[in-house]
Amino acid sequence: MWPKSLHHQNLSEEEITALNKAPSLRFRFILAGVLVISIIAALAVNLVFDYSRKLADLSYDRLLRSALLQMDENVGLIRNEVSIDIPWSAFATLAQADEDRVFYKVESLEQGYITGYEDLHSLPPNPPVLNQIQFYNQEYSGEMVRFAWLERHLTDPEGAQTVRIILGHTRLSREEMASSVTRRAVEVVVLIALVAIALIAIGSHLVLRPLHRIERALEDRAMGDLTPIDINTPKETHHLKVAINHFMVRLQTNLEQLENYTADAAHQLRTPLASLRALAENARDNTSPERQHEALENIVKQCDALGQTVTLLLNQAVVSHRLQTQRLEPVNLLEPITASCREQAVTALHQGVLLSLDCTIKTALVLGDSFAIQQMMQNLIENAVRYSGADMEHASEIIVQVQEFDEFYRINVIDYGVGIPDVEKERVFERFYRGRYDMAGSGVGLAMVKDIVDHHSARILISDTEPKGTTFQVDFAKFRMGSRSV
Amino acid sequence: MKPLFVMKKAIVSLVALLFSVISLGAFANDAVWFGNKNATRILHINSTMDLASFEPILNEFVALYPNIRLAYRDVSTQDLYFLVMERQKEPVASLAISSAMDLHLKLVNDGYAQTYQSEATTLLPDNFKWRDQLFAFSLEPVVMLVNKKAFPGVLPEDRQSLLQTIRQHGKEMTRRIGTYDIRQSGVGYLLASQDARQADATWGRLLEAFGNHDIQTYCCTHEIIDDIASGKLAVGYNLLGSYASQRAQEDDRLKMILPKDYTLMLMRTAFIPNNAPNARDAGLFLDFLLSDTAQQMMQTQDLLFPIQPDVNNLNNLYVVSAPGPTGVIELDQQLLVGRDFAKQKRFIRNWEAALEIKEE
Repeated sequence: MWPKSLHHQNLSEEEITALNKAPSLRFRFILAGVLVISIIAALAVNLVFDYSRKLADLSYDRLLRSALLQMDENVGLIRNEVSIDIPWSAFATLAQADEDRVFYKVESLEQGYITGYEDLHSLPPNPPVLNQIQFYNQEYSGEMVRFAWLERHLTDPEGAQTVRIILGHTRLSREEMASSVTRRAVEVVVLIALVAIALIAIGSHLVLRPLHRIERALEDRAMGDLTPIDINTPKETHHLKVAINHFMVRLQTNLEQLENYTADAAHQLRTPLASLRALAENARDNTSPERQHEALENIVKQCDALGQTVTLLLNQAVVSHRLQTQRLEPVNLLEPITASCREQAVTALHQGVLLSLDCTIKTALVLGDSFAIQQMMQNLIENAVRYSGADMEHASEIIVQVQEFDEFYRINVIDYGVGIPDVEKERVFERFYRGRYDMAGSGVGLAMVKDIVDHHSARILISDTEPKGTTFQVDFAKFRMGSRSV
Repeated sequence: MKPLFVMKKAIVSLVALLFSVISLGAFANDAVWFGNKNATRILHINSTMDLASFEPILNEFVALYPNIRLAYRDVSTQDLYFLVMERQKEPVASLAISSAMDLHLKLVNDGYAQTYQSEATTLLPDNFKWRDQLFAFSLEPVVMLVNKKAFPGVLPEDRQSLLQTIRQHGKEMTRRIGTYDIRQSGVGYLLASQDARQADATWGRLLEAFGNHDIQTYCCTHEIIDDIASGKLAVGYNLLGSYASQRAQEDDRLKMILPKDYTLMLMRTAFIPNNAPNARDAGLFLDFLLSDTAQQMMQTQDLLFPIQPDVNNLNNLYVVSAPGPTGVIELDQQLLVGRDFAKQKRFIRNWEAALEIKEE
């Protein structure tokens, strides 16, 4: 059984320190929320503070205005002398601001002081306009006082005077009203802010819950389980889920490749080892020194072959690693081709095969991996050499052609060997398929060629050479800036 | 400009006159001392209240606080008003008690009082205090007092019946009605102005009748009551209920009448002046005045009408039982109107004219 993976409780110490150091999404979310809400709340309180003062002034100014008008109504001019009889009701109005001290003065510009507080010298901040009441704050008798100020003309047949009425009361009731309004508003604002913060805290928990669910789903899996996650998640986390699933598919592919490779390797090493063992037994059992010597000679040959196979496997491992890790980049196709031709020419000649490169173009830029292309060429040439030299008494020839077309470069590897029957053409790229078991070869080389071709999005085609033999034709798309497809 | 000049001169002479009255009145009247002579703390009280009505309460206070000595000065309402203003910087008295609510309220409005808060003042209903500076401790009716023997005809129930008697018995009533001189008595002015406010027409007719029958004017309540008791006056109009009922209880010939048409209710108020030398003990005394002990004493010992009559269930004269509506003189800014300079001048002039009294 696969051991179950571990949960938070069983995190290693390093993981715990990393967890503690890691910035918390939820904390940031709440912090930002609290900040924004605090700013809004502060603004609101500030606004309410201003507003409540204005509101208090507005409502108490009405009292003041009413009292002033009642006083004004009782101002008269008799024989060019101003008289005033302040009505009781005027001050009954003011008594609604129950704790506020009242100050007033009635004077005429012509006659001077008439009644009230003689030392009350007060001028409104704005230039006085007749018949227009002005309200303003001014200190008097040691306290801030709200004044209403009115000037108007009085006329009678014997003369005219300008009378000025100043009436004020202290701001106690106003401040009390303003602060009670403010207090109420602040209470409400603070309540709303607290509720909002609580909602953010709860909301952040809810929002992050699908993530925790995905996390748990992954944690709870058996070790080798790479099947897609199929829990229901909201839209916002769907992409994450899909990404994880894609990642797992890739992981699965890699694992499969690794398994295949391991199987390849085992397979390829087993046959030579078995043959080595047979040769060695042969050598042991033979009494004649000549036969023994011959057997030992065979063992040495077999070891060389094994060495080649191991190299091939290593190359294949490198190529498959590169294909998975290296990004494709623009390379000159001719370089790996030339290099592999140069490398193979001598070996081919030993086998009685003449290798020639037929190429007229100078550069051929494609998007690819130079090492992988070289491996591909090597395998194709080796393959051609192997089939060329098999039955021939005389030296044969292999031609490597590079041609340029509008959209692609074509590489032809042409041999005049035994050729491949049409039935087999389909299968040569299968792993471990060997057309002829009487010939050396791993059965892996062409499979690797196919992998590399596929990885480069290239095409490979097998055709017969006239009059006999095989032609491998590989087409690479030209590299163009800004476009990657054929 | 001429009338202005004359008026200003009149004001100046009036003020000068009043100040001379203060110096005569306030300093001629020596303080009456209460309590232990060795007491460390001394509390000076300026009050318009007759000592007779206050002495038991003062005695009770010094008994309760043996380390406080009281100096009590009896001052007239108007003197007290000017005294507070004159001694604003360094007052002698730490507590000012007056029956002239309007003058006291004006002093507080003009910033002569300091704030005082205690458990007792907090318990006091809002309409019996103003700004936590002015506190009422007694609420008494304004009454008529008649000499039953000297009064011709049926005893009056209200102002209308008083008017009727004056008309029917013109001769007997001439020179036999007494009331305050509103120029000298602060409380007299307050009551007259409130009468004029409550029932302007009745007040006009009363004033006319008073003028036609040579009304006698007095500075102080006890002088009016003395003259009623002696039979010199048949009736006194607008007298303070506490003094009248005290005398009516002692003297069978006197009868206190609460006018049935409306009965004015007057508060006695107190405040602690700014810069008071002993504000702490003034506060203590104020608390004591408002305490159940003092409020009960006012009733049981026939001193004053308490501000909270329900402190005990006594049913005597010191529980107001007015036969008609009561007009409580409200302790708020409206009192300032009565003391408006122009209004006061006109009111006194009209009063003088009606009573055919020569301008002083």
